[in-house]
Amino acid sequence: MRTNRREPHSLVGAYALDAIAGIDLVRFERHLARCRRCAAELREMRQAAVGLATDRGCEPPPGLAERAIAAASRIRQLPPAAWPPVARPSRAARIAVGIAAVAVIIAGFLGVSARTAVDQLGAQQSRARAIATVLAAPDTTVLNARVSAGGRATIVMSASRHALIFTATSLPRVPPSHCYELWLMGPGGDRPAGMLPHPRHGMTGPVLTSGLRPDDRLGLTVEPAGGSRHPSTAVLLVVVL
Amino acid sequence: MLRILSVWTAGSQITPRGRASADGAPCPDLEYLLNRVAVGDHAAFEALCHRLDAAVFSAVSRVVRDPSQSEEVAQDVLVEVWRIASRFDPSKGSAMAWVMTIAHRRAVDRVRSAQRSAERELRSAVPPVAYDQVAETVADRLERARVRHCLGSLTDLQREAIVLAYYGGYTYRQVAELLGVAAGTVSTRMRDGLLRLRNCLERTDEN
Repeated sequence: MRTNRREPHSLVGAYALDAIAGIDLVRFERHLARCRRCAAELREMRQAAVGLATDRGCEPPPGLAERAIAAASRIRQLPPAAWPPVARPSRAARIAVGIAAVAVIIAGFLGVSARTAVDQLGAQQSRARAIATVLAAPDTTVLNARVSAGGRATIVMSASRHALIFTATSLPRVPPSHCYELWLMGPGGDRPAGMLPHPRHGMTGPVLTSGLRPDDRLGLTVEPAGGSRHPSTAVLLVVVL
Repeated sequence: MLRILSVWTAGSQITPRGRASADGAPCPDLEYLLNRVAVGDHAAFEALCHRLDAAVFSAVSRVVRDPSQSEEVAQDVLVEVWRIASRFDPSKGSAMAWVMTIAHRRAVDRVRSAQRSAERELRSAVPPVAYDQVAETVADRLERARVRHCLGSLTDLQREAIVLAYYGGYTYRQVAELLGVAAGTVSTRMRDGLLRLRNCLERTDEN
């Protein structure tokens, strides 16, 4: 059987129609992961498929939505596609990794060497001291996640300190009239969790957020520069804490 | 920069986000609901289900055909939306396109597993439904003129390939076999055809 190995790109249409299977599918998905043109075309094609899917308005069977709602209440939700927390071999190693990772990032902002960043932080003003407290907490966890609009976020969290430190690299620029805003999203609603400063050398933060409650998730949106009371644009990142 | 701008425009069109209908505000958009579902908001999921049940059922039943199986698959699709809502990425397409992708995939999976068990018995290279049957039924059911008009603007091969794959649940290789055309030609026509369909639908949207 002939394959489309030479032109995996032409398979983007078949992929959008779910008309690839087996080895073709594996091969195409590998291609898709590094083909920006495919991703852009796929977005357009999926929108065309919405036309194919929904053009016939038909009455759903009675009770369909209710049964789905009831079934969903018994189903655990998947966390966002974040990188897994860095190394969990031992608590000591975890703390070391956490501190090292953030020290490198924070050192970038403060213009000090990574090795001494944590020490020097302690001597800085209260914000830096608070950050150092989170870094030194016994239950420090580091999370990495991709921001849907571009860039990566690193979050260092301590449940015992009810606080986290947020830093990001390569976030897309926003107009000067707007800023990125963090949110704590819990069962009780969304709470503003701090505005991100404009990036320097492609790096944003560190921003300290405290007042974490159990079951909170961290969200990120773009808001008018003064901040908003509720998220008013698409959420670009959701991290389960 | 470009990417954030697109996210941006999408966001800024969204008027009061707030709680659905509590203050008579316009319906919150699907993207917002989906983001709320991702943080475990049951009320948002209820709103989403009532908004999308007809569309999901319609998309699934076109492929699966059998009403009771379609209903089962449609319910699975809605539950799947709840389960993986955190994976929705607005930079890859609209919320509607995301949900419809899940619906179509599930429907096709159902059809293919039925096909596979039939094939185990028949060992037949040719899928069980002939092309004319599919095309006719589908054409009958395309009620709104828009998609019919836009499908009509495609070449015969583009249209046949898309209709067989999307509504029939065939792979492009099966489509190639059915139509007696090289697989590479079919995949190319699917791509050209879908892009043309997209352009046409977008144009008729504006009118």
